[in-house]
Amino acid sequence: MSQPIKPDDIDAIIHERVRLAIVSALAVAPELSFNELKAMLSLTDGNLSAHSRTLEDAGYIVLEKTFRGRRPHTSMRLSPKGRRAFERYVETLRQIIDKGDEAMDDPP
Amino acid sequence: MDRDEARARMQEIQRIMERATLWTLLPGTAAVVGGLLVLAGCAASYGMFHSLDFARMLDMSVAGQIAFCLMWFAIGVIGVVVEVVSTARAARRQGLSPTVRSARVAAFSMTPSVIVAMVLTLKFLIPVEPRPEEIQYIVPVWMMLYGTGVYTAGLFSIRPPRVLGLAFIALGVVALLAFQEYGVVSAALSFGLLHVVFGLYIVRKQRQDGAQ
Repeated sequence: MSQPIKPDDIDAIIHERVRLAIVSALAVAPELSFNELKAMLSLTDGNLSAHSRTLEDAGYIVLEKTFRGRRPHTSMRLSPKGRRAFERYVETLRQIIDKGDEAMDDPP
Repeated sequence: MDRDEARARMQEIQRIMERATLWTLLPGTAAVVGGLLVLAGCAASYGMFHSLDFARMLDMSVAGQIAFCLMWFAIGVIGVVVEVVSTARAARRQGLSPTVRSARVAAFSMTPSVIVAMVLTLKFLIPVEPRPEEIQYIVPVWMMLYGTGVYTAGLFSIRPPRVLGLAFIALGVVALLAFQEYGVVSAALSFGLLHVVFGLYIVRKQRQDGAQ
């Protein structure tokens, strides 16, 4: 049996599935527009808006709102704080997997 | 969270990162190079038979026709090689495998329509006495099928490739219905100019992103 990890060890902001998807995409593409992310992750406007606001409030992403002609344009990028949080989250996942694998290897 | 959930999360992260990676791997420079090669090919074609209609190649000697076909074959091969090398270099720069899943999916998405275009090209060219109107189909057919492939590959990434694909399809339809006898112009506008504009757009966007 794998060891359950303490709730405090997991970043609740990133742990949410949609927010994790946003942060994962921004971890490799330095900047994506609202529409690019929406299409890439198959999200609705409302869903992406709500989750990106949560990430912005946490300081994990930077939202830039500009105008292209008369149309509003929103782009997003990962902040240094967001990148650190993402790397920590991935490391936590790795530890959970490693511990689980060790537990499977050790006979009871 | 247990091991299985953590593993599922890691796989989900990897899948999304690969998808986003395709954006950063889009070979903008290769598109510009390919577009310029096509423009040069169009200029050379015009120089060979002094017409904007590719069917006029039939007026050339057999040696001229072979040289013409080899020139376009070489342009196609160079274009593909430049694209593959550029994508592989971009992947290496980012510490990724050149055969990252998203790149493979994009390549496989394009393959069927390119094969169909090649088969139709051979069907139009190979007869002992090729018909001029069939030669005129070649450019619009390539435009529409290439556009279909690019659009399909773009379904696994972001919007710009899909827009490029739709532009090729739309121009191909117009070329087929209204401008068959201006194949040199159609090829120059689509495979030439459209690629150059798309490539410059991608290069500019990626530089903007990289600078932040």
